[in-house]
Amino acid sequence: MTARKLSCRELIEFLAEYLDDELAPEERAEFETHLSVCPYCVDYLATYRKTIHLGKQALAAEAEILEEVPAELVGAILAARSRSAPG
Amino acid sequence: MSRADREPEPKPQDEQSLLLRLRAGDQAAFAELVQANAGRLLAVARRMLRSEDDARDALQDAFLQAFRAIGRFEGGARLSTWLHRIVINTCLMKLRTRGRKPEESIEVLLPKFYSDGHRIDPGPPWRTEIPDPVESREVRTLVRASIDRLPEIYRSVLLLRDIEELSTEETALLLDIKANTVKVRLHRARQALRALLGPHFTGEAA
Repeated sequence: MTARKLSCRELIEFLAEYLDDELAPEERAEFETHLSVCPYCVDYLATYRKTIHLGKQALAAEAEILEEVPAELVGAILAARSRSAPG
Repeated sequence: MSRADREPEPKPQDEQSLLLRLRAGDQAAFAELVQANAGRLLAVARRMLRSEDDARDALQDAFLQAFRAIGRFEGGARLSTWLHRIVINTCLMKLRTRGRKPEESIEVLLPKFYSDGHRIDPGPPWRTEIPDPVESREVRTLVRASIDRLPEIYRSVLLLRDIEELSTEETALLLDIKANTVKVRLHRARQALRALLGPHFTGEAA
């Protein structure tokens, strides 16, 4: 049995499901058959993955840099709590 | 598993004792909770709201909501995870009430196809030696600015799923949309972000 031929459009449409391992085995086989003959889709998949990675890395690095909490903000939160606390 | 779940694990008995003190209204316990979580949560609010003032307001609102609701916290999740969800929800509410800025259409950033399903103009491949954003401020700034160019409905989903690492179901619940809509928006957001970053990594950007 040979896998059905998938178009580039179909492959790109199901990229997220492929990466999340949500495709049925026969769909995955069609996907991988297409990738074995289409360098453009191999490239698209690689850059899609790279995009996710860059987003995660850039914002995680930013969070580490900014993780200092201004003391006055902590003070303001606790003061607001004291004002709103019953009694 | 979300980002909040990866924080160093407090001992269950420590968390339980903190919770009891919070429920008893112990001021020192509130201070402890804020000190232990405010930094990480301020970073979440900054990622979502982009404005320092809004992020600080959201953090303060979120802690006040958490203090009021502490009696209803069931202890099924960790306190840090619970606070993370409250901050995200507060930020989403702020985003909804904030005036909408003019947004670019996402359609122009999605791949185009011929009628036979082949992609129109796949473009040149990306350079292989892209600097790591952890080390390169330039890449970090570029990625951040590109995420912020996405229309808000796509940006929110990308931030919640890929950056805050919430599940599809949790994201759907917080945004009050269907799980399948989350999946569609996430895929389109990633494709659009890829298109925005592409010219910088193929050498095509001016």
